[in-house]
Amino acid sequence: MTSITTDQDMEQTPGPNIVLPGDLLPPTASGLLEDGPTAPVIKLGPGLHPMDDDTITAVKAGVLKHSEIGNRWWVESNQRRYVAAAGESVIGVVVGKTVEHYKVDIGTAQPALLGVLAFEGATKRNKPNLNIGALLYCRISLANKDMEPELECMNPTTGKADGYGELKAGFVSKISLGLARRLLDPKSLVLRLLGQHISFEMATGMNGRVWIHSTSTKHTILICNAIKNSEYLDTQECATMVKNLVQKM
Amino acid sequence: MSRLDRTRTSAHQLRPFFSSQNLLNRADGSAQFDFGGSSVLCSVVGPAEVKIRQEKLDKATIEVIARPLVGLPGVADKARERSIQETLEPLILSSLHPRTLVQIVVQTMKDDGCILSTAFNATILALLDAGIPLQSILGSVTCMIDSETNEILLDPTTEELARSKSTHVFVFDNKTSIAGSANKDQAKDQDQDQDSLEGAILYSDSTGIFTENEYFECAHAGFKAAQAVHGFIRTAVQKKLEKEYQQTQA
Amino acid sequence: MTALESTSPSLAATSPAFTFSASTFQKLHPTEFFRKFASQGVRPDGRLLNAFRPTTVHYGVITTANGSAMVRIGGTTVVCGVKAEVAEPKLHTPDHGYFVPNVDLSPICSGAFRPGPPSAQAQVVSESIDRVLKESKVLDLKDLCIEEGKAVWALWVDVVCVSYDGNIYDAALTAVMAALANVRIRKPTYDEGVVKVSGAEDMNDDNSFKLKLARTPLSATFALFDTSLTVLADPNDSEESICDGSISVTLDEHGQLCAVSKVGAGSSSQSLLKQCIDRTRERATELRAIMSQQQQ
Repeated sequence: MTSITTDQDMEQTPGPNIVLPGDLLPPTASGLLEDGPTAPVIKLGPGLHPMDDDTITAVKAGVLKHSEIGNRWWVESNQRRYVAAAGESVIGVVVGKTVEHYKVDIGTAQPALLGVLAFEGATKRNKPNLNIGALLYCRISLANKDMEPELECMNPTTGKADGYGELKAGFVSKISLGLARRLLDPKSLVLRLLGQHISFEMATGMNGRVWIHSTSTKHTILICNAIKNSEYLDTQECATMVKNLVQKM
Repeated sequence: MSRLDRTRTSAHQLRPFFSSQNLLNRADGSAQFDFGGSSVLCSVVGPAEVKIRQEKLDKATIEVIARPLVGLPGVADKARERSIQETLEPLILSSLHPRTLVQIVVQTMKDDGCILSTAFNATILALLDAGIPLQSILGSVTCMIDSETNEILLDPTTEELARSKSTHVFVFDNKTSIAGSANKDQAKDQDQDQDSLEGAILYSDSTGIFTENEYFECAHAGFKAAQAVHGFIRTAVQKKLEKEYQQTQA
Repeated sequence: MTALESTSPSLAATSPAFTFSASTFQKLHPTEFFRKFASQGVRPDGRLLNAFRPTTVHYGVITTANGSAMVRIGGTTVVCGVKAEVAEPKLHTPDHGYFVPNVDLSPICSGAFRPGPPSAQAQVVSESIDRVLKESKVLDLKDLCIEEGKAVWALWVDVVCVSYDGNIYDAALTAVMAALANVRIRKPTYDEGVVKVSGAEDMNDDNSFKLKLARTPLSATFALFDTSLTVLADPNDSEESICDGSISVTLDEHGQLCAVSKVGAGSSSQSLLKQCIDRTRERATELRAIMSQQQQ
């Protein structure tokens, strides 16, 4: 939670890369000023949207990011509600079952569909049997705003499970999507700090769910708390927080 | 000229703003916004599952629920719901999330005048927090004309409103004002066209007895004040993002 | 009406033209259908963009009410009745009477309305009328006092929509103002806790009084069509359903503004609002002429 108070005549100095809905993408930077076949191709990621008047506008509050490779632009923002995007790994709960599909709740507006054959080596005769309430780590194979998202529990190129599948034991906790992305960073500070004291297994879904499995319930709760606490802390505070938690145990 | 509200010295001074984002645990986005002694808490859930009866095939359904300070919602709250809903509908890029529901609950926490404006500002902060795609942000300010001095007072308190001849609620988006530094060239062009720069009105609601000139003077004063609100919203979002990014920057 | 062609050029080259009847096209693409008209400066019902529908006002249509009026604006018909009742004053305003406007949009007037508690739209219109009457001080509520702290007049201002074809606010406000102008209330006498209202003889200037209206606010509503914000005066039901914004201006007979509201659609320039205010002035003058013509 963040709070601010200011007086009337506060200074209005927007940071160089923080954008709000309605802010235009700088036309000079993106090569939008040029026209014709030589104009550079620009790729828009989440948070940017071309408007009717041919401008490119931010539609979410966040940090404007740019990658020279492929001239890609996007806005990195944080939210809690998940909107499915193809290729992302998510954690879901089976909420329904039909002959052809499992219905899986992944936190989106509509439950996602997981084909009963979308598992490694599954055939009509030999397919995994999941019960309602089962926890899954899976991959979004198809995401379209007009349809329910579709899931699969295997790597589509190799057909191997690659770690996808049912998650047994352990504990799931809800976090913000921004924190989930940060946890997926191999250099994640809080995970590195926790790893120095405790050994544990975890899976992070891009849908803001994190699964943790460790040797004892006590450890699992500690890890969950540490991850949640870390969201709004700086490096120093984060180190102290983890140290305190571990010491108390 | 002194005001009835002793904490302020000039007619165009607004009360201090306060905001707080992400304070409800179970909502997808939430925010509180205060104009001095008026405070509104807003929560946003969505894009979430929608009832079939409300479902729209090509866009998200936007539902606004206004809750009064005390008692059950009345006709005035229904009118407030309508105002907020109809103003947000063109602002939210609802075609990006068809067949879903965006539910906005606006709860009055403290009432010292200008509740509709406070609610508008709380709502936009909550929508930003929830990450709902928006065309632009908005800022709302209320002004009134004093029946005794005929002066335009911005952001009046309940005490001042009791002496009003007319009250005016305005909402301005940030598209017509200059957005970001990159847009300077366009801003110069717009300078010639004063009318388009001087506050295209997103929402306006005025009652009382007033002349056409008074109305446009209020719009002008409201537009200037709305810039301060836009600036504040920007700072609020910036502060929140800085907190999130302090680990990566270090 | 001739059939409108709806086909892409490439399709037309290879196959026979693909045509709809105009009414089918209207049902399938109501917005596109309307856009074709609007680009020519006319509307499907033959009106120009800034034209209002024919309006009539009739007074005294309900003989059992203290005042009543029926207003027709094109296909929209509303009836307003005002009933005066002796009531106890509210605690914090012992010398003020009160009035309660209520707009009823029942299934009688359109299939779009459901029976049951008032819809959001009906509540919003009631609230707007209530605010205009109160904020621009149309009635001096002290005139409605019979005996301070004991008895006052309560005016029940009920508007019933008989036929709904858009622009309910203008129709309802006109009907309310006409009905209030038509009100006659028998003079009461207060005697030791009992209010007596004189008997059955016909009402005349001696035994009854009329309401003193400080001003008569009248309104004009404009719908905003498309992102270009094409202004459509006095929208009908089908136009309202394809427009997502509106501007409403309310004026009194001295040319003072009583209410201005702009909701929905994108942001509109101030000159657009000014245009609407100017157009309202013309309309209000016409409307006042219609009202005074009928009153005699």
